[in-house]
Amino acid sequence: MASTVVHVDKLTKKFPAPGGGEEFVVLDAVSLDVKEGEFASLVGPSGCGKSTLLNVIAGIEVENGGSVTVHPATESADGAIHVGYVFQSARLLNWLTVEDNIRFALEAQGVPRDQWRDRVTKYLEMVGLAGQEPNYPLNLSGGMQQRVAIARALAIEPDVLLMDEPFSHLDEITARKMRIDLMDILERAKTTILFVTHDLREAVYLSDDVYMMSTKPARIFRHVQVDLERPRQPEDPRLFDMEKELVREFFSVLEQTQDQ
Amino acid sequence: MTTRLYMRLASMVTLVVVWWLASLVTLPEVLPSPYRILQTMGKILTELGPEGNSAFFHIGITLFRIVVAFVVAMLAGIGIGLAMGLRRTVEFSLMSLIPLFLTIPTILMVFLAVLWFGFSETGSLVAVVAVVTPFVTVNMAEGTKAMDKSLMDMGKAFKANKGMMLRKVYIPQLMPYLMSAFRYAFGMTWKIVALAETFGIKFGIGYMFFFWFESFDMEQVLAWVLLFVILMLIIEYGVIARFEQRAFAWRRTFSAAAL
Repeated sequence: MASTVVHVDKLTKKFPAPGGGEEFVVLDAVSLDVKEGEFASLVGPSGCGKSTLLNVIAGIEVENGGSVTVHPATESADGAIHVGYVFQSARLLNWLTVEDNIRFALEAQGVPRDQWRDRVTKYLEMVGLAGQEPNYPLNLSGGMQQRVAIARALAIEPDVLLMDEPFSHLDEITARKMRIDLMDILERAKTTILFVTHDLREAVYLSDDVYMMSTKPARIFRHVQVDLERPRQPEDPRLFDMEKELVREFFSVLEQTQDQ
Repeated sequence: MTTRLYMRLASMVTLVVVWWLASLVTLPEVLPSPYRILQTMGKILTELGPEGNSAFFHIGITLFRIVVAFVVAMLAGIGIGLAMGLRRTVEFSLMSLIPLFLTIPTILMVFLAVLWFGFSETGSLVAVVAVVTPFVTVNMAEGTKAMDKSLMDMGKAFKANKGMMLRKVYIPQLMPYLMSAFRYAFGMTWKIVALAETFGIKFGIGYMFFFWFESFDMEQVLAWVLLFVILMLIIEYGVIARFEQRAFAWRRTFSAAAL
């Protein structure tokens, strides 16, 4: 049994309402566990607090209740906890070269300087951008920029990699290619992933575990395991069947909450 | 690039030719020929001027005044601007004061400063600060507010410390605002210092304008003006523009590869 890397326990997050009214509950006692080496997805409609959950795990935002614990993976070299984050948009520093963008993350995470060069080369090669070190982000296409962002997050060799709808800003053909490549990359990098998306097909195609979230209340209402062998084919009919079933469940939950 | 250079040269040459033609039909006391001005400039640079002071003495004093006033005005503007951009209370308390300063005509500001502080170093410094600082402040406040919050979150997610955030996330985003403030501030500063000197602050290039103006020596006035312009252009294009090119190299590499 693999050990737990991310342990989220009854996490609650509230935002003050605009105009100072009643607080808006974004996350309402959300619990989930991500095991080492696992690909877990969090699926839900827009505005259900999925991104907020990632932000709390990454330490960008502070929880109002419950707790988040990230345990170092068993192979962790330095005992420190490294959380990688790939955002919806690449969020690169346009004034730094591709190499310096990755070094930014390495320096911030306290990775020893003598490892920087090797890590930059290794992870750029892994995302298919070997040789792009001296280029500036504005010279790259949107898909390539997102690959740099993935390389940046992988380069810190994270205990968990958080991905927030990383392909939603790309055109469908590029996104599809990126999903296939991501599978290959993860095969090699063996990283634990918590992936946020509103795209059920993307979730079932990529994940071992799918957590389904509802809005109002912002809770996880279902946890499904996808027991399909890898490598998977995007056109596998079993994926379509699962997607259909999950969509049905979403609608029934949606109706229930509307009735209340 | 070369065509642009030729066009620039052509416009310069045209200006000199028009000047020369105009000097042929006017009295030399009104518009001396370009050649005469060049001769006078040579004399100014090689011989001692009135009161036994060389041209370099005046140039040095003017540059010193410009640099001191420029640094004070920029630092004040950057400091107040950052505070305004980061703290709403500071922004709201200063918001109504800044337009007040921005609307006062520059020449009036110089008059006022000279009336209050006399024909002294303080006079020109106060005039520069009163005119330049509000502009720099507005620019920096806007730049600070326009910083991309998503990049700050990115830095936070990767646990970048304050120093890294400042050097690699904040300052590069503020650079365009800083540079435009820098250019404006420099342009205004030398104009105000020259004006204050012309009004009566002792020594400096402006003082020489006034000295020769009073003795109706058109050749000397024009030669000094030209000298001043050349000096400022050298600083503007030789120093500031170069620095700008290096600071924004990442922008110019933008190419068809992304399209």
